[in-house]
Amino acid sequence: MRLSEILRLVWLNLSQNKFKVILTSIGIVVGSATIMLVLAIGTGGKEEVAEQFKNLNAGAIDISCDSSDSGGFSFEMPGGGGSVTVTNMGGGPGGGSGGGMSGGPGGGMDFGGFFGFGQEEESEAVTLTSEDCDDLATFVSGISATTISYSTTASVEGGNMTSASYYTIAGVEDNYAVINNLEMAIGDFLTEENNESKEKVCVLGATVAKEIFGSAYDAYDGIVYIDGRPYIVSGVLSEMGTVASGISPDTAIYVPYETGIKYITGTNISPTITVIAEDVNQVDTVMTDVESALKESYPNTTFTISDAGSKMEAASASNETLTLLLISMAVIVFIVGGIGIMNVLFVSIKERTNEIGILKALGCSRKDILLEFLLEASFTSLVGAVLGVLVALGITPLVQLFNVRVSLSVQGAVLSLLFGVFTGSIFGFYPAYKASRLIPVEALNQE
Amino acid sequence: MENAMITMKNINKGYMLGEERLPILKDINFQVNKGEYVAILGPSGSGKTTLMNMIGCMDVMDSGEYYLDGMAIHETKEDDLTMVRNQKIGFIFQNYQLIPTYNVMQNIIMPLLMRGMTHEEAEEKCKNTIKLLGLDHRIGHKPNELSGGQKQRVSIARALVGQPAILLADEPTGALDQTSGKEVLKLFRELNDMGNTIVMITHDLGVAQSAKQIVRIVDGQLQE
Repeated sequence: MRLSEILRLVWLNLSQNKFKVILTSIGIVVGSATIMLVLAIGTGGKEEVAEQFKNLNAGAIDISCDSSDSGGFSFEMPGGGGSVTVTNMGGGPGGGSGGGMSGGPGGGMDFGGFFGFGQEEESEAVTLTSEDCDDLATFVSGISATTISYSTTASVEGGNMTSASYYTIAGVEDNYAVINNLEMAIGDFLTEENNESKEKVCVLGATVAKEIFGSAYDAYDGIVYIDGRPYIVSGVLSEMGTVASGISPDTAIYVPYETGIKYITGTNISPTITVIAEDVNQVDTVMTDVESALKESYPNTTFTISDAGSKMEAASASNETLTLLLISMAVIVFIVGGIGIMNVLFVSIKERTNEIGILKALGCSRKDILLEFLLEASFTSLVGAVLGVLVALGITPLVQLFNVRVSLSVQGAVLSLLFGVFTGSIFGFYPAYKASRLIPVEALNQE
Repeated sequence: MENAMITMKNINKGYMLGEERLPILKDINFQVNKGEYVAILGPSGSGKTTLMNMIGCMDVMDSGEYYLDGMAIHETKEDDLTMVRNQKIGFIFQNYQLIPTYNVMQNIIMPLLMRGMTHEEAEEKCKNTIKLLGLDHRIGHKPNELSGGQKQRVSIARALVGQPAILLADEPTGALDQTSGKEVLKLFRELNDMGNTIVMITHDLGVAQSAKQIVRIVDGQLQE
């Protein structure tokens, strides 16, 4: 029989059993909707991760001093890696603050604590400085840039505010914006001159500008009072959204590093040095070198050294695991849906055994009967898959209500359609095959 | 032999009833020549339906030789038997065996579609047959909208459209009232007069007498 005529008969059969087709395809509807949403949620998750890390440089390494830890040499790998906590014990007097790479005598690996039979020594708290930053840039190879920053909270007034509010104040150097991929909505970022002259200028995050002045435009060149002192707003950042770690740009006020120390925090700060590895593949080596360099300067101090790349990888890996889990769910739904189709087709073939007998008596070949029933299963699945895609489109706003990022795509829709038809065809094959193998006289005599 | 449409030699067929074999057809030797109109007459359980299934290539024999229009059916595989059923045999069933979801036209053209024709070609080809059987005004109707006699005429039309070598009718008047039955038998005579070979199976002597030749089957054996 011609394929066009078989298709015509398939259409005839399905169009006369619309309700049955819809009921049969419910499993595929659920499966297709699930797979489309899973892909959309997975893609949305990836985009969210990318957005959260957009202010991070893949080659960035953060170094901070952790004075709370005590003795020992420990590695801390959150999320599968990325952070090393280093303590050098009993190594003699350190170089102290601002000591630079000259360090102190006795620096380096002494393992005093180890040989001291488990005696633990308190980690010496130090404050990292701009000089440490310069030393790392000078003595550690493979570094393209360094910067130092800290954050605190302070009372802020000005603009349209009727009373003071507390905001995150970040003391940063002029290259902070470039290193953290910050973009200006209006104005300029802080300059080296601002820092050296300890000028009272600031850059506002997008949310802060909106809250204090109503808009970025109004905020520009305005004045905010931090701890009662006036700061001129030299610029406003573009909206960055949620970020995975570090200072959240939207809700922070950036002031020059030295200005903040002089007027807001004093010297009681815990700065973070950020170094950028020239080659992303050399991040581990740079981390080790940084660690060694810091040991020279501060032999009794614990540092937390973490790299952004590992954080990104960990977040991506966890997102991929979630996506894989959701896809597994969708596959299970498809299998259940497919078994549903198979059962209904078996019942349908039982009902239509006599019809199959007539077709065989009239000379319909096994191939044509197989094709007809297989196409019926495929079209039923296609109907289910199309309905599934529509259901997914309908459900998406509801999912978004739960703050789940959903990124629908044409590829996702096509893939769920293909999956739906494929599942229906696979599970429809066996019943169709059984129908084609019926013995004519037995099929014909079936009531 | 050259004129033979059906030649059966020593055909045996039985079914397993538990562990015991129940013989249905015993050493059947039978011949129908081209253009003949033969009735096979027998009571229920005599094996006449089984014999019809054998003639119609719907079932396989246990032993014996069967030639249909010169073709050795006993040596033919199932896939080729499909072609034989489509091109050489026109079935007319007691309970019509129409596909309920198809209309009259769609039912009638099925054998032609199976030969690879498009539905337009098939519809064109069966126009005369539809006219001959007086179904012109019923082609869009579904089987459940027709009377028994009309259904049987649709069944006959379907059997005729492919211009088969033989028309095989199983109790063609069994489900019809007397008037409709007579019309069908009259039609068979006319078709035979037009050169069609017809083999009819019936338990009714009155119906069998409309054929030109009667063969009796009793307990799976033929008696002339």
